[in-house]
Amino acid sequence: MWRFLGTRIAMGALTIWITTILVTLLIHAVPGDPVQIMYAQSQGTTPEQIEEVRRSLGLDRPIPVQYAMFIERLVQGDLGNTIRGGQPVLDVILQRLPNTLLLACSAMFVAILIGVPIGFLAAYREGSLTDIALMMVVIAGISMPHFWLGLLLLFYFALELGWLPVSGNGWLNLILPAMTLGLSNAAIFARLTRSSMIDIMSQDYVQTAFAKGLPKALVLRRHVLRAGLLPVVTMMGLQFAFMMGGAIVVENIFSWNGVGRMAVEAIFQRDYPIIQGFILTFSVVVVVVAIAIDTIYAVLDPRIRRS
Amino acid sequence: MSALLSVRDLAVHLGDAPLVDGISFDLSAGEVLSIVGESGSGKSMTAKALMGLLPPKARAHGTAMFDGTNLVSQEAAPPRGTGIGLIFQEPMTALTPVLTIGLQLTEALLSHGICDAVEAKRRAKAMLDRVGIPEPDVQMRQYPHELSGGMRQRVVIAMMMLLDPRVLIADEPTTALDVTVQAQILDLLRQIVTDAQIGLILITHDMGVVAEMADTVLVMKSGRTQEYGPAAQVFAQPESVYTQTLLDAVPRIDSISERERGATDILLQAHDITKTFKKRTALFSGHDKHTALDDVSLDINRGETLALVGESGSGKTTLGRVIARLTEPDTGQVLLNGSDLMTLSGRDLQARRREVQMVFQDPYASLDPRQTIGKTIVEPLIIHENLSKQDRNNQVAGLLEKVGLDADMALRYPHEFSGGQRQRIAIARAIAANPSLVVADEPTSALDVSIQARVLDLLDTLRRSENLTLLFISHDLAVVRQIADRVAVMRSGRILELGPAASLFAEPKHPYTRALLDVAPVPDPSRKRGKRPAIIGDYPAGPLCEVAPSHWVAI
Amino acid sequence: MAAVRQTPPGFWRRLLSSPSGVIGLAIVVLLVICAAFAEMLAPFSPTKMGAGGRFLPPGDKHLLGTDEFGRDMFSRIIFGARVTLLIGAVAVGISLTLGMAVGMIAAFRRGWVEAILMRGTDVLFSFTETLIALSFVAVLGPSLQNAVIAVGVAGIPFYARTCYSAALVETSKPYFEASVAAGAGPVRLLLAHLLPNVLPTMIVVATLGVSTAILAAAGLSFLGLGAQPPTSEWGYMLAGSRDYINRAPWLMTIPGLAIALTVLGFNLLGDGLRTSLDPVERK
Repeated sequence: MWRFLGTRIAMGALTIWITTILVTLLIHAVPGDPVQIMYAQSQGTTPEQIEEVRRSLGLDRPIPVQYAMFIERLVQGDLGNTIRGGQPVLDVILQRLPNTLLLACSAMFVAILIGVPIGFLAAYREGSLTDIALMMVVIAGISMPHFWLGLLLLFYFALELGWLPVSGNGWLNLILPAMTLGLSNAAIFARLTRSSMIDIMSQDYVQTAFAKGLPKALVLRRHVLRAGLLPVVTMMGLQFAFMMGGAIVVENIFSWNGVGRMAVEAIFQRDYPIIQGFILTFSVVVVVVAIAIDTIYAVLDPRIRRS
Repeated sequence: MSALLSVRDLAVHLGDAPLVDGISFDLSAGEVLSIVGESGSGKSMTAKALMGLLPPKARAHGTAMFDGTNLVSQEAAPPRGTGIGLIFQEPMTALTPVLTIGLQLTEALLSHGICDAVEAKRRAKAMLDRVGIPEPDVQMRQYPHELSGGMRQRVVIAMMMLLDPRVLIADEPTTALDVTVQAQILDLLRQIVTDAQIGLILITHDMGVVAEMADTVLVMKSGRTQEYGPAAQVFAQPESVYTQTLLDAVPRIDSISERERGATDILLQAHDITKTFKKRTALFSGHDKHTALDDVSLDINRGETLALVGESGSGKTTLGRVIARLTEPDTGQVLLNGSDLMTLSGRDLQARRREVQMVFQDPYASLDPRQTIGKTIVEPLIIHENLSKQDRNNQVAGLLEKVGLDADMALRYPHEFSGGQRQRIAIARAIAANPSLVVADEPTSALDVSIQARVLDLLDTLRRSENLTLLFISHDLAVVRQIADRVAVMRSGRILELGPAASLFAEPKHPYTRALLDVAPVPDPSRKRGKRPAIIGDYPAGPLCEVAPSHWVAI
Repeated sequence: MAAVRQTPPGFWRRLLSSPSGVIGLAIVVLLVICAAFAEMLAPFSPTKMGAGGRFLPPGDKHLLGTDEFGRDMFSRIIFGARVTLLIGAVAVGISLTLGMAVGMIAAFRRGWVEAILMRGTDVLFSFTETLIALSFVAVLGPSLQNAVIAVGVAGIPFYARTCYSAALVETSKPYFEASVAAGAGPVRLLLAHLLPNVLPTMIVVATLGVSTAILAAAGLSFLGLGAQPPTSEWGYMLAGSRDYINRAPWLMTIPGLAIALTVLGFNLLGDGLRTSLDPVERK
């Protein structure tokens, strides 16, 4: 198990390391002069000021030196300052990150709570009308653009019925974004759970359990569900990353003050230090969550735990 | 003695198609009934019907009276576990991977309310001990993946026997196991039948296993009974033609073969081949080194059939693949007609490859599903020669006829052919470019016996007519007996014995060869044996030493 | 490439007998017709403002109403189909060709080539497509063209992985090894054996991938990072509807429905293809 986790952690570290390189290179991939572009929207910037910014970003140095500088600042927890406002990027991100994590975790909760039982029920009734109906709902759910679902929910529950606030950052405000993100992913969980369960149910060991005369409920609960949920657990890491991606859009619909909304604004404003910080944060979060999920998986699956 | 289980006119239908069609038999306590048949005979469906475990769309008819109830009627639930137990073929998948052995052993006792948890644990340990599993206390806490295939099958047997059934159905219980392990499991089953006086239904395709185990035999074909009677009678004087053909097709390890040739012209020499694999343990992560071949040397004579025999993990397949240069050895040389194949690479290698061709085990994956068989067969020729379209067609037609297929089949795709036909096509491809050596890796083990016999005949005929040399890899000593001139016995990456087939089978010199020959089932019930030799773990595996002319044994 | 041309026997019969295949195919064909004959089908120009008044609800003259500039929604939706299909095709084209190249080469060459390609793919894959697409747009600047490139590039890791595992299965099959043993060279192995055998899998993946790509590009446009005015792009139209959500809710429902139906169509078609392209091996 330690070897399994060791590989995963090494892989995660590699991912983050490559991210730091990509993030440094990113600014050079911009067609034209990045500093010019960054300040194109601000009036009255003098050439001297632009040179000053170029120096402070280290853009006048060779790229390897820039990378070294970037890493040096990074280990000190310095991600640079925002172009607009000049605040430390790390502060801006840390202030909003909890909101995004809260949204993603709530959505995950919704997705699992709805998706897994639906998938299990469909698998249990494989081939029946229930199964077909559920799978139709699921494929419709997968095809539903979450930004449209968000607008529909917003329109209906916030504007028409007036039950929930349109935007803001309170607990009530969390419901709609979390449902939007959760429901679209619930469909994916449902589909995965169904196929995994169907696969398990055709296994010899399930037949053997029936041959022992165990009641169906016990076979399903003990033999099918435990083994069948393992692939679902493995998927959770990847799914969380999708949720983080989806959060970018959903935050913008509901004006949820998270890093996703910040990132989109930064793209419009060409605020590269924020974009760099965002990409780095995103990959760190995704990597940490993936390792956490792998750990859970390793503990759940005796084939890994006992190796 | 009155019957435990009495089956009359059992039929299973899937839609309109009958899978089982009017099967009747009786089973008494202490009796072993063997249901024999080739694939598609409906033997497994019969078992499932008795257990009430048919696939959702299949329906069973007829009666199967057990303990006063009809198992086939839909009203009463069959007494699964407590009345009838079932053992599957594949021990690797018969236990739930995420639950401990202990839990899986005791859960049914608890669920049926037979005893309390403490008693269940005690009984489970006692049963593990009875089926020959060492250290039951430790094993109870193990997970299935920590046990070997043979051990798992013992656990499954223990699991079923704990519920004290009157009837046990074993569906090909030893097919996935090595012969030595098979012998142990069969011994165990026989002992259980005698001790517990249960009735055993043993479903198998292997006439050898039937002869060793069965009191009564029921031969099935296409869902119907071909023959039903006492084992001795069925083997000695079969009434049905089908049984007779089946028996004739079974290769006999005790047959007398007069093949012997004096040719000593060496075609291929393998020197000091070593190959280690990084073994991925337990599905994920963790590299352990596994030595597949440990300094193996072997000569193959021109025109002979040399058989590599061994159990799983012996390295026989790896050696075959190294010789065909599909696997790169860590060290060693392979000399074909005196020139080293191992030093070749790129285009030189491609050009020389035509001299060694392979036939693989799985007839379904052996042919490219998206090419016509004509294209498949002619591929080795196209690669090495410039042929006109006309020449190509003629070649394909000729090759198809050589392997006993019609020339006009060339335009068909592989899925239109049966397993046996596909293997013929694979053989046609192997001989297309006139190779000097064909490596056949278990070419018949995925086929039914009747088809196996014909494919073996074909290989032997072609060897003679095409001047081929054959390296025949197999786990089945009886098959090897039928086709080989010389035999090399392998175990754990070493050759333990190498000699002419006749003397090796008649007077095996190595204790492992003797053990293998002893445990191999023989399709003759009159040859029932007494106590089997224990299979010890360590055999002499040192350098080979010539003990008789051309007969070498590891010391 | 004769081998590629050949569809498995009974392919059309099976596709047309699966409900999802039929519905999916119908939706996709309808979309293609809309896209191809947009000029003939659309009653108005999609960009002509004030064609009949602003915020007209769906009615006789304007089947689906008009938007905030008085443009005919029906015409915009029809022309949007063209944009959307183009987005899907180009983005998937990028992901598919590059992804397959990476996957097949990695599975075929093995060794360090495989290690570098696949570890790199794994790293990119864990970034998720959204982040890759967003980073690309951040660098290149918001525009429809850049959004399509971004979505296409973002999909490469997934296609590479899928193609790699499919190719790995094929290269370990005996028929492939038999060709190696017969002396077949890399070109023959790759084009005559590997490509035709991974293609069915990849066609399914690409069909399902069209829906993912359309969703992703529409998402970018929705954020304002993709299509720019006055393009008739559904995601962009949806974004514009937010300000009039109370006054003209059809501006929100109609483009959303269009995206959802398109995505559904490709998802269903992909599912249908999956079952009908399965080679009829072993039972």
